[in-house]
Amino acid sequence: MESLDPRERIERDVLAAMGRPGWKYLAAVSLCALAVLAGFALWAYQSIRGLGVTGIMHPVGWGVYITNFVFWVGIAHSGTLISAVLFLFRARFRTSFNRAAEAMTVISLIVAGLFPLIHLGRVWVFYYLFPYPTQRQIWVNFRSPLIWDVFAVTTYMIVSMVFLYVGMVPDLAIVRRRFTGLPGKVYALLSLGWTGTLNQWRHYKWLYILLAAFATPLVASVHSIVSWDFAVSIVPGWHTTIFAPYFVAGAIFSGTAMVITLVYPMRRILHLERYITVDHFENIAKILLFTSLIISYAYIVETGLAFYGDNPFEAELFRYRSFGDYRHLFWLMVLCNSLLPLTLFVRRLRRSLAYLFAIALMANVGMWVERFVIIVNSLARDYDPYAWGTYTPGGVEIGITLMSFGLFFLLYLLFLKAFPILSMTELKERL
Amino acid sequence: METLIFEEKEPFLERLRELAAAGHSWRTLQLHLPWEVPEVTEILSVPAGGLRFFAMLGGLSGFLGGMVFTIYTVTTWPLITGGKPAISLPPFLLISYILTILFGSLGSFAGFLLLARMPSIRGMAPEQEYGNRFVIIVREGEAP
Repeated sequence: MESLDPRERIERDVLAAMGRPGWKYLAAVSLCALAVLAGFALWAYQSIRGLGVTGIMHPVGWGVYITNFVFWVGIAHSGTLISAVLFLFRARFRTSFNRAAEAMTVISLIVAGLFPLIHLGRVWVFYYLFPYPTQRQIWVNFRSPLIWDVFAVTTYMIVSMVFLYVGMVPDLAIVRRRFTGLPGKVYALLSLGWTGTLNQWRHYKWLYILLAAFATPLVASVHSIVSWDFAVSIVPGWHTTIFAPYFVAGAIFSGTAMVITLVYPMRRILHLERYITVDHFENIAKILLFTSLIISYAYIVETGLAFYGDNPFEAELFRYRSFGDYRHLFWLMVLCNSLLPLTLFVRRLRRSLAYLFAIALMANVGMWVERFVIIVNSLARDYDPYAWGTYTPGGVEIGITLMSFGLFFLLYLLFLKAFPILSMTELKERL
Repeated sequence: METLIFEEKEPFLERLRELAAAGHSWRTLQLHLPWEVPEVTEILSVPAGGLRFFAMLGGLSGFLGGMVFTIYTVTTWPLITGGKPAISLPPFLLISYILTILFGSLGSFAGFLLLARMPSIRGMAPEQEYGNRFVIIVREGEAP
């Protein structure tokens, strides 16, 4: 019978995940790396040949690249919700998910940040996006939501990185103690010389509270700002005041689904069942169900507004969304985001991890499709019938989209091996 | 210098209470903790520290910097776009709000490094690692 000290056991179990990788891990890394390489090659091809190689064409100027941007920024949100908001509300189950969710936030923002650059076409002039002094003293237009996006997403990424790193500092000191040679030295450097003195802890406690307090409004504001990319325009289907809360709820829904998608296999492969329990998954499932109800409500409200508002363009757009060229995607979205999650009202299904994983996968699909449906339908059918058209993504766009998933999973897999995926310090504290 | 090492939290807290009763304060004792123990703050009446002021300073400078920057840039070459006034406060407030959060967070982190005296070269390769133990070091000559 094992009689290891529980604190030692936590260190052993969590750090075991950072051990020598097996062939399955290496195969997964290779597959993701291949997708990334292929995607970057396609991006290079697009940069040389121009955006004509994509399916983006008048009237649909925003295709899957902007869909991917909105999707990946949305994925980031649940990381901040789990790490910052649940910390402020003292939800104990967050300990099982917070590191994975915070890493997911940073990684998905890195992936999201690529898409405005890819969509630019002439990526070498990316610096036009940032305010910088020029000889002619022409600055960026601060009244444009696209500039709000640059500020919001960049800030979100920096704050999330600081939050993730700060949360890891006491754990990095443990890793420093456990590793020797060059890795030990690297972790020593990253631990910043943390030794757990009273002075360090008293300021650390405040730092964590302050960072959580600063990050919490970002949960609401970043995707609100992303939604204003659409809502401040006068395009039918976009010009609505409910977009901000609707996008935020969708972001948390998709992010929570992605947390489940990542943590369920991770728990099995790394043998972390002792620390990530079925009860914890059930709590996450409740967040998924709750946010699904909010977005279903938003779907109903925006459709109701379209017909109640007596605006023929708005009404036509909503008719087109449900029964037009992209109707299959619309109903797939309703199935994945509104109907399937309702089954989580049944406790037995909520506690069945394989079922929850399947629902989460479908929610990921549904949320990507939702972004596509919102973006493409409105551009394909706005005011002037002479300007109507349809859009089909080209091979380059599909390849680059697959690259984004490859990059996301690649960075996550590398994170798993490089850093402790559970907060050992918090787990010990809760013993 | 006397080093007291405890495997468990309760005996550590008991000894800490005795030392506090004997007149020791958080300044005369050096403590190493494997995780944050809120009771220590109560026993030794540890003050909150000044990190909040760094956060406030960072946040305020972000907000004011955002307002000044947006108004300065738009008045340097006042282009009217979308029929809006050159100095449009709602979008400028949005930029200032974002910069409040950015500078507030970075200010808090910088303040933490300063107040916690990190990075510490000595701490990166400490002479003694205490692991999961609770440690009280009573420094000679600093006893009450």
